[in-house]
Amino acid sequence: MGLLQGASELFPVSSLGHAVLVPSLMHWSFKQSDPSFVPFLVLLHLGTATALLILYREQWVAIIRGFFTAAIRGQMKTDSERLSMLLLAGTIPAAVLGVFLESRIKSLFASPYEAAGFLIANGILMLGFEVLRRRAERRAALSGESRDEQEAHFTSAERISFRAAALVGACQALAFLPGISRSGITIGGGLLAGLRHEEAARFSFLLATPVILGAGILEVPQLFSKGVPVGEYLAAAGLSGIAAYASARFLLRYFRSGRLDPYGWYCIAAGLAGLALLHFSL
Amino acid sequence: MGLGVLGIVFIIIAALYAVGVLQILTTETSGPHYKHAVLFAVLAVASFVAANFARPKTA
Repeated sequence: MGLLQGASELFPVSSLGHAVLVPSLMHWSFKQSDPSFVPFLVLLHLGTATALLILYREQWVAIIRGFFTAAIRGQMKTDSERLSMLLLAGTIPAAVLGVFLESRIKSLFASPYEAAGFLIANGILMLGFEVLRRRAERRAALSGESRDEQEAHFTSAERISFRAAALVGACQALAFLPGISRSGITIGGGLLAGLRHEEAARFSFLLATPVILGAGILEVPQLFSKGVPVGEYLAAAGLSGIAAYASARFLLRYFRSGRLDPYGWYCIAAGLAGLALLHFSL
Repeated sequence: MGLGVLGIVFIIIAALYAVGVLQILTTETSGPHYKHAVLFAVLAVASFVAANFARPKTA
């Protein structure tokens, strides 16, 4: 579960969808109603967030420094200062929607059938984002160019508008539906905002870090409740972190020229296969 | 000015959630709500930052 969560959290394929679907299909004995399940997920998320902090450690130092400098000065002068404020603008809608809606939405859609259905919807969304991006490339007469030249036409995370950052952040709320990917929806939102694929992935990972870390830290006291096997859970969190770090490195390299389409097709195939397997009780 | 006042309001709401006085829009009906408190603290910080950005700058 640690490896599965760490890898699927950052790939645009929905970790929550896989966390609901895979144990059900594999007949693993995880019960989401078990009191130790939430602490388990908390530690896995902390593992993922730690991996992202390590990956972007230099950028986070610059972002935090930039935030305080710009906040005190009342003006943004550098890219790091602007990025820190864009991340704040993107985090607030996600945090508001997360605090007020997350448990309600998750309790409504927790069955493997719904997870499989939303996984198919996630795949269609990923393909839709790429259709819109290709349309933008055609409008800019980039169809005949190489992928590197096409990507160079688009912009970096520091250059998007605050409205776009807030909208991309708000899109994260859709990921409370099991099967809809947080990274997929934010990468897609970044593409619509005019970001290069690699920059959309970077903005998505940076945006995810405070939300995942914050949610994890707030749930830490639950780890000390009775009957929680902390040692085993810590090992799973370590595996989750390693998988998340490797996934992020892979995805950043992949998105230099790659697109969301393969993940879209994977989600559709996985969702259909999941529905078939659940239907025939295999 | 308005954003600064909003920031102060958010701080008060955060404190009320933290001590468990405020229970609206929560899933559990009693006790402190730290998630809500942290959220409103973040909103307060954002309001103060926005107020400072909106403040007229001297050249």
